[in-house]
Amino acid sequence: MKRLIDLLAGLYALLAYGFIYLPIVVLVLFSFQASRFPLPPFTGPSLRWYGEVLGDAKFTHAMLNSAVLGVVSSAVAVLLGFLAAYGCARMRGGMGNTVRALLIAPLSVSYLIIGMGLVVLFNAVGVPKSLFAVGVGHVVINLPLCFAILYSQMNDNIIRLEQAARDLGAKEWQVLALVVAPVLWPALVASFVLSLTLSWDEFLIAFLLTRFETTLPVEIWTLLRSGLNPKANAIGAIVFGVSVVMVVLAELAIFGRGKKQKS
Amino acid sequence: MSAKRSSFSAGLGLLAFSASVLAFSPAGATEELNALVWCDNTDPALIEPFEKANDVKVNLKVYEGTGAGLSILDQSQPGDWDVMVIDSIDVQRVAKERFLPLADDSLPLANQFPEVRMDDILVLDGNRYAVTEKWGFNAISYNSKAFSAEDVSTLKKLTDPKFKGRLAIYDYYLPVLGMASVATGTPTKDFSDATLAPVKDLMLQLKANSKLVGEVSASQTALATGEVDVVVGAGEWVTAGLHAEDPNLEFVIPEEGGILWSQSLAILKDSKKQDLALKFVQHVLSPEGQAALATSSCYWGMPAQKDAALNDEQKKTLKFSSEQQAKDLAASNRYPAPDPELDKKMQDLWNDVLQAN
Amino acid sequence: MRPETIRPRNLAAARPLRHDRDIAMTDAKLNWRTFLLVGPAALFTVLFFVVPLAAMVAVSFTAGGAASLDNYRHFLTQPSYVKALVNSLEVTLIVTAISVVVAYPLAWVLAERVPERWQRAALMLTILPFWTSYVVRSYSWLLLLAERGVVNRALMATGLLDQPLQLANTRAATVIGFVHFFVMLLTLTIYANFKQLSPSYRKAAADLGAGGVQTFLHVVLPLTLPGIMVGAFLTFVLAIGDYVTPQLLGGSNELLMPQLVIQQIGRRADLPLAAALSLILMLVISIAYLACARWLKLDRT
Repeated sequence: MKRLIDLLAGLYALLAYGFIYLPIVVLVLFSFQASRFPLPPFTGPSLRWYGEVLGDAKFTHAMLNSAVLGVVSSAVAVLLGFLAAYGCARMRGGMGNTVRALLIAPLSVSYLIIGMGLVVLFNAVGVPKSLFAVGVGHVVINLPLCFAILYSQMNDNIIRLEQAARDLGAKEWQVLALVVAPVLWPALVASFVLSLTLSWDEFLIAFLLTRFETTLPVEIWTLLRSGLNPKANAIGAIVFGVSVVMVVLAELAIFGRGKKQKS
Repeated sequence: MSAKRSSFSAGLGLLAFSASVLAFSPAGATEELNALVWCDNTDPALIEPFEKANDVKVNLKVYEGTGAGLSILDQSQPGDWDVMVIDSIDVQRVAKERFLPLADDSLPLANQFPEVRMDDILVLDGNRYAVTEKWGFNAISYNSKAFSAEDVSTLKKLTDPKFKGRLAIYDYYLPVLGMASVATGTPTKDFSDATLAPVKDLMLQLKANSKLVGEVSASQTALATGEVDVVVGAGEWVTAGLHAEDPNLEFVIPEEGGILWSQSLAILKDSKKQDLALKFVQHVLSPEGQAALATSSCYWGMPAQKDAALNDEQKKTLKFSSEQQAKDLAASNRYPAPDPELDKKMQDLWNDVLQAN
Repeated sequence: MRPETIRPRNLAAARPLRHDRDIAMTDAKLNWRTFLLVGPAALFTVLFFVVPLAAMVAVSFTAGGAASLDNYRHFLTQPSYVKALVNSLEVTLIVTAISVVVAYPLAWVLAERVPERWQRAALMLTILPFWTSYVVRSYSWLLLLAERGVVNRALMATGLLDQPLQLANTRAATVIGFVHFFVMLLTLTIYANFKQLSPSYRKAAADLGAGGVQTFLHVVLPLTLPGIMVGAFLTFVLAIGDYVTPQLLGGSNELLMPQLVIQQIGRRADLPLAAALSLILMLVISIAYLACARWLKLDRT
């Protein structure tokens, strides 16, 4: 019976992964298309589109923009979320509930509204459309997530831990940086990675708040509005390839270190 | 201590943001021209010669739909934009508050196709506010392997059951409702409230036969990949660019007359680079500029200037200056130009058609 | 630096761990510090979220510069607008239901059947596709589902079909595109929930004589419900507000709310109407939030 369940489980997992990877496989396959449309029949492998993408400053620039924007806005979101979660954990009662509700409110608001609201605000105040404006937008959407994740990890054990540290003479910032942060390390990393992922691929806010210096999703969208093109496949494949490499490296760096610490 | 930590992190955050702001502000070295354009104006064959000849950088932002373009202008500071591509039919409503009058003698107007000079809508109170750069037809594009020119010669013929699931409709309400209006007997200049009912009727029948309603790239793709065989509202701007890949893709002006589209170029009133902007306009109207624009990778179209440097093959694909084209021009209607009330009703009608199934 | 290396100021002064009551008292004294910790995030949220939102609300009650209920009136009186909301709700609910049903078994397999040391790798594998561009992925689906696309060709080649399926440019395509994205997301949240389950519950059920199916229905399923509900709510919010997927995959054969909103910005530069429509969407999401509030309470573990 167990064997049967294992077999069904394996089969189901296979089908599920097949479904998840189907568009990826097709995407990568047709990035090597020789003719103009990324459609069957597959007309032999060609690096033509990769050449065009890597040679096009627009795309390499946009990729860089997306990367820097993602890292900076995620770092800010994680930092603010961490401090707020730490502070909120000590707030009891009505005040605490209000602050918590405020901080996670943006989660229930569509990116469209957040983006449009910022358009109205920045226009009134005179902040020009730029990656900085998008950065603000991305922190708005990621801060609640980071806060929620980190807050849910702030259990009483942590409070006891910081009490212990303080009793042993640690200053406040030491408590934060040297006691709480290391303990919450996996949650911090998870929030950072989640924010980075959401920011990296975010289209709507970037579309509304940039002028010429844009992010990758906006650049791809513009490309595809002018006609279907295997160039887009090439970009998707490159991004995918780079992420796989980064994930493998991160895995070795972060969790490899973790394993060493345990032993 | 916590204050120190807080302010330290706040300071770090501020630093990071300042760095990114600085990193992402536009460089000041080369002179720059900011252009709000349609996708065809971004073709490197058009832009690069101008950049090289004048040692400038042209910053391009693509937009779709006059409403979106005006939104972008509204959300910008004066001086943010220098030139703009705009649907000729929309020039009137924004010209006086947004555009710079152009001197007729600075433009090669004598060489334009007379029907597209459109002085009546581009010149207001003696001032020319925009100049036509490209034009074409909203007509019926089709795959000649699936249907013949005779099969698709009028809009009403497309309501026949044999077209079920083989039709696509171009997603722009103005020209398509214009085509429906002409097909039901009302020229577009007479488009009124009374025209709405027969137009809706025809549109619902067409929607019943259609597989999708799509914008430029979706329509092109659907036709090119065989997803559909006929596109209503498309013209040379859909088929001409794809002709090389698939010579079976053709377009035909319906017997009742097609709709003439035209895009024009204008200089923004508060541009800080008016001389450079004028040079740009002149470049786009030059024979080489016109040829590059006409055969842009985004979509092809007819150049406004008769002396565009196109080769014979390209001219044939566009039916350039052919007898047929002269006939088509004579029989064509302009886009409907509704007042805001009627416009709202037309857009609501369009949404009703989209939602019908 | 590890906690052990902090030098105590005075070992003799080191006191034993205090009680919760003492922690609460300490909290009261630390109030100003707490404000400084929470301050930046709260200020940021107020400045860049609350203020713009208030501006949007204000703008939605204007038309042509003057205060007016026209925008909301327009929404209620236009059948195509109301239909857009209905379409959005239908599609989102279908997507949420299908995604949960597909993701739950996968999460279970990952949490329970895959050996511990491979679990993280398997999880990574599940969410790696997140890192191809969303826009490009959606286009890939469009081409996959096209009449002459990979899916139809494969099905016809194996003889299962003799006519290609009309998948692209339909609601089915939109749903498939959404489900693809949200299965990955939901697998994550449900997996996390599974990992938090203490094995003692299951042992207790077994001790009480419950079989496999009974344990699942009465112990595991209720305990993983929070993970399902959080994931489902996230799916609902993200799906109902998404513009890219329905626009690329639906062929404009029907309109959903986000498409309607962008249409107002794009065609008519009608920001007030776009704002009103967005707020109506937000209202719907808030109702959904209230319905799920039980599972979404932000609790510390």
